[in-house]
Amino acid sequence: MSETTVNDDAATEDPGTSESDAPADGLREGLLATFTGSLGEAVLGSHISAGHELWVRVDRAAWVDAAELAKTKLGCTFFDFLSAIDWMPSPWGRYEDALLDNADTNGAVASNGKSGGIPHVDPATIKPGVTGGDTRFQVMCRLADVRSARSVVLKADLPDDDLRIASLVRLYAGANWHERECWEMFGITFDGHPGLRHLYLPGAFEGHPLRKDFPLLARLVKPWPGIVDVEPMPDDPAAEAEGEATAEVEQAAAEGHAETDTDPQATAESAETAAEIEAGDS
Amino acid sequence: MGLVESGKLPKPLTTLLNLSRRYSLWCYQWGLACCAIEMGAAFAGPRYDVMRLGVIPLPASPRQADLVVISGTVTDKMAVSIKRLYEQMPDPKYVISMGSCTNCGGPYWDSYSVTKGVDQIVPVDVYVPGCPPRPEALLEGIVLLQQKIRHEDPAARWRGDPIVVQ
Repeated sequence: MSETTVNDDAATEDPGTSESDAPADGLREGLLATFTGSLGEAVLGSHISAGHELWVRVDRAAWVDAAELAKTKLGCTFFDFLSAIDWMPSPWGRYEDALLDNADTNGAVASNGKSGGIPHVDPATIKPGVTGGDTRFQVMCRLADVRSARSVVLKADLPDDDLRIASLVRLYAGANWHERECWEMFGITFDGHPGLRHLYLPGAFEGHPLRKDFPLLARLVKPWPGIVDVEPMPDDPAAEAEGEATAEVEQAAAEGHAETDTDPQATAESAETAAEIEAGDS
Repeated sequence: MGLVESGKLPKPLTTLLNLSRRYSLWCYQWGLACCAIEMGAAFAGPRYDVMRLGVIPLPASPRQADLVVISGTVTDKMAVSIKRLYEQMPDPKYVISMGSCTNCGGPYWDSYSVTKGVDQIVPVDVYVPGCPPRPEALLEGIVLLQQKIRHEDPAARWRGDPIVVQ
């Protein structure tokens, strides 16, 4: 017993001195060992955030097996959530800083969408998360044992040409609506689901809004207006310098802005109009 | 009722009718998001007390309501229900659009799911700006609506078929 304690101490000290990835987490390493022991090759990647969470990336074919293992052997009877991740960088740029993103920053073709069509994104620019990954889409779900505060996040890669995975509804009834949401938001089909119907979206909705390449049409018609609201704080030379640059962009972008600056009466009027409650006629 | 709809109502009667109508507005509350909290403060709380303006915020159904306050984020999925709610209200009926989201989409102007302005679905009489508006702003909106009703020709508000009780 005393030997074990000494070993543990050594193990916890080592990473601190050698600046290793993370301090040891015996509990979660044990959980991970259960997965690798039962699923073997099907465990493709993992990540442990010590004292926090365990991520396990499994093969798509072992998705239900992994969840069943978590439920039966690890006691993770609480289904927390299921969702998906689209790791592709947005082909539209960051929208908010559309003027900046006209430059080609992350491999996406320079475009703010006005040229029409969806800009192409180089697949090589897709960077997966901590557990690694080979594909654009990953399904993830978190299962937990609320009594012992043990939990695991399962992930699985989905190939782009076949966005399907087995449903967890037979194991966890709570997965039903999560999978319906995931289906309509990402277009991922869950085999064996009792009723994949729209949950949040109206029935006639076309497209999958949480995919990165889903165009927000309002922004294609009108650029993000927030950029003209940037004003420097008084007595801040750095911000003022920035503000001048922004002001130049503003003047180039919006002609009406200069008029507002020179005409204080117009400013007052517009402020009044904004403050007023206006009565429209029907 | 036929006299009112025909537009041949004598002017003193119109004035009297408008006086009665604007101080007995039965108001249906259609709270969809955080603006509903402010609406609740204005309608249900003792501090603002909307009933002193003659507004009764407690109809059991849209079929008993003269006014509906739509407050909060209107989504495309909810839009169908709002249209149906409006169609169930008897003429003359009024709509107050409360808050930026209901007016124009507000912070969700670019969302895939939010309707950019409830006036795309139903005609709006008073827009109350703010994110969210204070309860006082909603009260001012109601006062503006009452001023509008005061100078109104009741016949112009009858849009649909007359209500027939069978």
